[in-house]
Amino acid sequence: MSSAVFAKSLTDSRRGLIGWAVGIALVGVVYASTYPSQKENTANLPEALRESLNIDATAAGYLHASVFGVILPLLAMVYGIMAGSRAVASDEESGQLDLLLAHPVTRTSLAAQRFWALTVGALAIAVLVWLGLLTVRSSAELTSVTPLEFLAQCLNLALLAVFFGALALGVGAATGKRNVVLAASAAVGVLAYTASTFAGQLDADWLAWLTPFHYYIGGEPLRNGFQWADAAVLVVASAVFVGVGLFRFNRRDVNA
Amino acid sequence: MELRELTKAYGARRGLTGLTLQVRRGEVFGYLGPNGAGKSTTIRLLLDLIRPTSGEARVLGLDPRADGVALRRRVGYLPGDFVCDGRQSVRAYLRFLAALRGGVPQTAIDALADRLGLDQTARIKSLSKGNRQKVGLVQAFMHEPELLILDEPSAGLDPLMQQTFLDMVAEASAAGQTVFMSSHIMSEVEAVADRVGIIRDGRLVALDAVANLRSGTVRDIEVTFDAAVPPGAFEDVAGADRLRLDETRTVLTGQVAGSPDALVKALAAHTVLSLRATEPALEELFHTYYDGAEAAPKATSASRS
Repeated sequence: MSSAVFAKSLTDSRRGLIGWAVGIALVGVVYASTYPSQKENTANLPEALRESLNIDATAAGYLHASVFGVILPLLAMVYGIMAGSRAVASDEESGQLDLLLAHPVTRTSLAAQRFWALTVGALAIAVLVWLGLLTVRSSAELTSVTPLEFLAQCLNLALLAVFFGALALGVGAATGKRNVVLAASAAVGVLAYTASTFAGQLDADWLAWLTPFHYYIGGEPLRNGFQWADAAVLVVASAVFVGVGLFRFNRRDVNA
Repeated sequence: MELRELTKAYGARRGLTGLTLQVRRGEVFGYLGPNGAGKSTTIRLLLDLIRPTSGEARVLGLDPRADGVALRRRVGYLPGDFVCDGRQSVRAYLRFLAALRGGVPQTAIDALADRLGLDQTARIKSLSKGNRQKVGLVQAFMHEPELLILDEPSAGLDPLMQQTFLDMVAEASAAGQTVFMSSHIMSEVEAVADRVGIIRDGRLVALDAVANLRSGTVRDIEVTFDAAVPPGAFEDVAGADRLRLDETRTVLTGQVAGSPDALVKALAAHTVLSLRATEPALEELFHTYYDGAEAAPKATSASRS
């Protein structure tokens, strides 16, 4: 299998990807650096409020609730959706897919290579976030979280981005319509995020199991290290999205 | 290339209806029709970009669906509206497309680009429409495919480049390559095509050698004489009912269907100052083939042909 599409996807997106990776890493670093000042505030919160915010004064607790709990997963999700929508739907709408598929490349190969490219992008972002956090780990008093535990959470961050990338790519491969991709992915993202937030408050575990955010952070990798089962769920779900999208892609007409 | 009863339905509207067509190896086939007639639909079926509702196509002896990769390796394709993207240079983009085919010698790419006057260092997004079309032509020709499928190939090219393009087609044909090119302009096709198929509303309405097609068409003529000719001078010419002399009897206007031979021989008896005969436009050709078959041409649908 030729890797020309894979290589081109990466080179084409390199500027955007570098921007994303640096941006996300910076956001992570800046937020994480506020831990020393926030620690006091958090400790002063009433116990009940702390409970409901799912936050505690430890480094892991702070990172879990703020950096890795809100801002980074949302950015990772947006990256995934954008990269996934570009993979098939955007090219199809602009008419460029016609030319590529008139070459000796199968649809499966084309979509798969683009999926690998977005996966590599997600991993690159996660690695940069990890390196960024390591640089401020001691200055921001985060030494209670080991580098490996940081890595575990960053891996899940990458897998979360891949999950949404696979969703967007799958919907794009199935429909070829960028609007549908963006609407569907955003809807899933919002629903999933809301569900994961409410699940904690309602003690509805079954609801949590339905959302990718649960598998991303529910196992608290910052405290417990690698959560292989959770990671596997994200990987399998991504594979299913891509697989279903390809199934449909291979059987439908390419839109003119 | 062999199409049998190929049909493609798009909802209520028919894309193609029972298209049966054979293109021989090594020939240049002109595929003519107005916008929306089904030209691009046919071409996209051949490349397995869309699938037929019924019927069958064989291209280079292969099934576009089952043997798609093997088939497309041997085909060069220029899409109807060739779009290419981005910040990259023309050279990088052509290299990428070449890599999709497992590599094409750089010399072949350079030779084609030079011939078309295409600057390979230019950024794709800075290119004019004509120059983009040249990129499309280079990528279609560069691997010297056995079959060239060109959808409206000379769109956006200036007349000089159109000539260069026609030369390229003629050379490809001489080298044994088969060329299937669509157009809505007769003149673009007639110079190089061996045979022409005319499609309208998804149906093949004519299929013949270019010369034969022309023989049935109608031309407008206008002849000026240096002196009045006798009133009944052209009464005996076949189809004379469509010719008319003005009151001074020095100007003859009207239409000639098919061969103008009889008229020319009748004209020879007089002193002709000027003679004008229009080339039958494709549109008239359609009407010739359509007379009585269907009412006035339908409005072109929103989608491409």
